[in-house]
Amino acid sequence: METARYNRQIILPEVGINGQHKLQQAKVLIIGAGGLGVAVLPYLAAAGIGEIGIIDDDRIEVTNLQRQVIYKSSSVGKSKVLEAATMALELNPSIKINAITEKLDSKNAILLFEQYDIVVDATDNLTTKYLINDACCVTNKPFVYGSIYKFEGQVSVFNYKNGPTYRCLFPEENSEVRNCNDAGVMGISVGIIGMFQANEVLKMVLGIGELLSGKLLVYNMLNNEQQKFDFSKTDTSTIDKVAFENKYTSVESATIEISAALALEQINNKNVVFLDVRNSEEYPKITIQNGLQIPLDRLESALHQLDSNAEIFVFCQSGIRSKKAVEILRNNNFATAKSIAGGAKALDKILHKGTVSVT
Amino acid sequence: MIAVKYFGAIAEKTKSSEEEFSFSGMPLGDLLLALEQKYQLGQFSFSVAINQKIVQHTANYVLKSNDIVALLPPFAGG
Repeated sequence: METARYNRQIILPEVGINGQHKLQQAKVLIIGAGGLGVAVLPYLAAAGIGEIGIIDDDRIEVTNLQRQVIYKSSSVGKSKVLEAATMALELNPSIKINAITEKLDSKNAILLFEQYDIVVDATDNLTTKYLINDACCVTNKPFVYGSIYKFEGQVSVFNYKNGPTYRCLFPEENSEVRNCNDAGVMGISVGIIGMFQANEVLKMVLGIGELLSGKLLVYNMLNNEQQKFDFSKTDTSTIDKVAFENKYTSVESATIEISAALALEQINNKNVVFLDVRNSEEYPKITIQNGLQIPLDRLESALHQLDSNAEIFVFCQSGIRSKKAVEILRNNNFATAKSIAGGAKALDKILHKGTVSVT
Repeated sequence: MIAVKYFGAIAEKTKSSEEEFSFSGMPLGDLLLALEQKYQLGQFSFSVAINQKIVQHTANYVLKSNDIVALLPPFAGG
């Protein structure tokens, strides 16, 4: 091991040469190479975490550059994780980086998590956070959580030594929250929260300090107020591989979603119903001849409004409530109901382009 | 006096990060219902903390003077 490289941390009694060995032995998986992921990655790499996996199937877009500061303007269009891996290896060639150009899903999560010690959540949606949580419970891995809403950030550590999980803190799975793309964010905000996450990872590996296990840290960038909230283990349901597979194959089957473009090809088909499960005050309004609006919470009691022979395409704002609606419909003999990927925004985009193109 | 702190999208909806109410002895469930109606918080899911501790069974808790209630929605950005 190159001790010169790590000298300034090795001379800390809390780290020492022993600690440096622990860092070298550690395997950390970062889910997402967006704002949080690229804040976490260089610091873990520089500190000498021996093996780092980073998974994301996105490519670099110009709108990423204001906050995903390891990417160069000349890299727009390239794979995020491949670029991130190149950067991290230039920073520290003595470590191993696994760039995984895939999207995390229920099919790859378990196998992947089993190869690492710690999972870092650097994602931008709630669905994936629940998936990470459940896969961490199955594989018994700690999960370092970070998330942003505008100028506020949350950090916590879940499932650490069987401690409280994400579901203990936020039990309601079917909520919708705007992410950075929708709500806006400053680069510094994701940087700060990413640093808190990297710090939790290093403390966990080194066995120093107090982790945020059973604690939610909320940081406000505008007034620098920082608060911690305690929570305890309440979700005691255990999940094993079989339960995990059953849960996710029922909602994630390939046929459950349809693209907005393909759905709109059926716009003149009298047998198709475009079912909007949002509340009536939500925008953008989608006006389609064969459209129908039933908010999700009323759907079960309003099933009689639907023609039992109709082909139903469901949409909401972003695609979360519509999946829940499809589950309800499929459990009530509408076996072919599908959720429109990207929801109202995707439909609106195509409808306002004036042409319907197939992708 | 009871203080209520708002976070994330809820603070945006209430247009404040903190608010005080001059009562005590009210069940937490009643306060939450009143706040949900006043600010139309129905669309949000959130966890509730009292004095920096998340509480699971919000309906039965009776608020005492000087309690600090926090409404904590999950964040999704990254």
